Amino acid sequence: MWRPTSRPRPVAVSRHLQEVGCMKNQSQSQCGIRIRWHGGGPGQDAPTVNIKFINSDDSETAVAARVDEVLLRVAHRTGVEMEGACEGVCACSTCHVVLEQNLYDTLIDEMEDGALSEDEEDMLDMAFGLTHTSRLGCQIKISEDMEGAVFQLPKATRNFYVDGHVPQPH
Amino acid sequence: MIVEGSNLIIEKLPKIRTRTVRSWTPVRAPDIVGLARSRALRRCPGRELAPRSLPVSADRTCHWCHSTVSATAITHLRCFSAENTDVSQPRLSVAVVGAGPSGFYTSKYLTSAVLHRIEKANDRNDKRDEGDAPALAPFDWSGIDIDILERLPTPYGLVRYGVAPDHPEVKNVEHDFAAQFETSNNNPSSSLSFFGGVEVGKDVKLSALQSMYDVVVLAYGCQAADRRLNIPGEDLEGVLSAREFVAWYNGHPEFGHIGTIVKECLWGSSDICDVDDDQVSTAKVVVVGQGNVALDVARILAKGKRGLIETDTPSSVLEILKGGASHVSILGRRGHVQGAFTIKGDSHRTMLRAKELRELTKLNKEGHNAKLIIRRGELELGMNDSSVAELKGASGRPKTRIDILLRDSAVSETDNPKDEAPKTVCLRFLLSPTSIEAKDSDGGRVGGVVCERTRLEGGPFKQNSVSTGEIETLPADLVLTSIGYKGMPLEGMKGRDQFDHQQSVVNNLHGKVTGDNNLFASGWIKRGPSGIIGTNIMDAKDTVKSIMMFIEENGRVRDEKDGRRGLEKYLEAHETVPIRWENFQAIEVAETDPARLRNDAQPREKILQITEMESIAGILKQ
Repeated sequence: MWRPTSRPRPVAVSRHLQEVGCMKNQSQSQCGIRIRWHGGGPGQDAPTVNIKFINSDDSETAVAARVDEVLLRVAHRTGVEMEGACEGVCACSTCHVVLEQNLYDTLIDEMEDGALSEDEEDMLDMAFGLTHTSRLGCQIKISEDMEGAVFQLPKATRNFYVDGHVPQPH
Repeated sequence: MIVEGSNLIIEKLPKIRTRTVRSWTPVRAPDIVGLARSRALRRCPGRELAPRSLPVSADRTCHWCHSTVSATAITHLRCFSAENTDVSQPRLSVAVVGAGPSGFYTSKYLTSAVLHRIEKANDRNDKRDEGDAPALAPFDWSGIDIDILERLPTPYGLVRYGVAPDHPEVKNVEHDFAAQFETSNNNPSSSLSFFGGVEVGKDVKLSALQSMYDVVVLAYGCQAADRRLNIPGEDLEGVLSAREFVAWYNGHPEFGHIGTIVKECLWGSSDICDVDDDQVSTAKVVVVGQGNVALDVARILAKGKRGLIETDTPSSVLEILKGGASHVSILGRRGHVQGAFTIKGDSHRTMLRAKELRELTKLNKEGHNAKLIIRRGELELGMNDSSVAELKGASGRPKTRIDILLRDSAVSETDNPKDEAPKTVCLRFLLSPTSIEAKDSDGGRVGGVVCERTRLEGGPFKQNSVSTGEIETLPADLVLTSIGYKGMPLEGMKGRDQFDHQQSVVNNLHGKVTGDNNLFASGWIKRGPSGIIGTNIMDAKDTVKSIMMFIEENGRVRDEKDGRRGLEKYLEAHETVPIRWENFQAIEVAETDPARLRNDAQPREKILQITEMESIAGILKQ
């Protein structure tokens, strides 16, 4: 089962598989376990906090997030459009989410060395619409203090390339 | 379900929830045809029970009602499923050309947009029946059928043949793509189908595809060609593009011949069988360009067989790489903080990506016996006032991190780090290749890369590299040019109107191909070859928005299209046997067969021949 460490850290696939009970050096397909987000995690009876996603089209989705659940999993469980292409191992930036300043600061302060992990920073560098309070959804664990927290998904923008504009090679 | 004599009696027709049939109804065989012509048929599970390309030999369990359905019954169901064309409300038929990330993301978001729209229309209509909502513009489609066409027998495009084999976690996205077949086909209003081994332009004409489908999405990417350096000597033997090299080490079926060239460059004429597994090639490799592909290529060359043994790199590739290459240089003509492209809103990105760069700095620590060398002098040369300004401000954060990472690993010219590791990877800046020289001993083979020292000129974010006239020649036995991929038009595309040869992209506005047509574009062929897998998400959403606008406006005036059934007929008439999803799954099973694998950790041993894939898939091409 998915057991995030007390401080959310990127978990390499192999290590993750060890955690979920696969023998070392056993390939994913052989042990028959696919890291998917459905099922696992805190059960239905876990305490919940109310959080809100602001979708990329500015609509809002209020959901009950289970304490100790990873934010990416909350999104998948509740049908919020957050991707998670690498399946939550901090190897892509598709679960990019923007936090409120207060929450961002609190989470950073709680971290052991007071900074994001190198891997998360490296991935955030590639995220679309990076902000000062950007994080990866797979690296945020829901805690009891998150009641009322708001998570903004990166804005879908029609200005992706301004009309007719094509990138000019240098 | 039981078969009695010639009369097929369906005791339990899977629960069909429509206005006409609401409960479990026993139906006799002749009635099936009648049912087939009714609206109810569109919800019939026959389609899901067995795709038409497969012979049905065994009973199956219905996805819907979990009852067992006999093989004979399935055959009947399939027959009436096939006749399902003359229904009152059609389903949107979409062909997606290319089964890479952009193709799959476009399918995913288009399906969800159409289903959402149908749901909304139904809600409004229900309310209108009750008289408390105004009429809503009707939606002309009752569902969506997407067919993904792919030139190769295998899907996933660059995820399979581009992402470096030592980045398995990036390839996890394949699971998401594969799951789309499950989720889409489990919904009666949507379906997704795969047609591998079908090349648009050759096996099926683009114009034919356009007339068969309501919407055609071009998502075939930029894998066809490379941007060229346009310098003398570019065609010497031993000069390859990184695209070819990457395709080869990923086991792309069309790039097996690259192995012979790499072997000659790394090991000369010596017999590869005599070379020890750990032996490091003394050949010098020069990689031109500093994008993530360049860093991937350098890392693979530095790791060699032992470093890649637990990845899905084909064994035949590892046999050529052996201990890896002792000298790899990666050249960039600009400084270390400059971006790859000056795209609006993208100026905070450097050419160098932190992830791949960090991996290079860790090579030695992780036991690959390779050290990254960065010259402190070159970093300082690139730090003029404009570069310092680029590091400041909000957008400078990623650049500053790269700068710090590089400075931490940098060495002075006077240091002699070569003793530390048998292999070195040198990251060089402000060097612009001006020509590629031939070897003295062999005039047709590459011997070195002549470079000019450059300096940066211009304001922040607008710096250009200008030659200083200082020349440096780097000896090279293998040169890999990694300065960008290039898209090509599809055969049958309308000349300059639809394809911009200068930018190598399809002419489009938010994904709608210019002109009066039902063509759309998504991914690299729409925006040019840059960005990561995730970039395709925003890009696909943009195209989907255009498609939705298009079908809302044009839906009713267009003729009804044959869609999937039309394509199947067309391919049959042209004697093309497509690889369907089940066929590909058979290929996957074969590739992950433990008997094929080097060790337990290897995820798969790719099949390198198309003919072998076809025979495993049970398809015999004529």
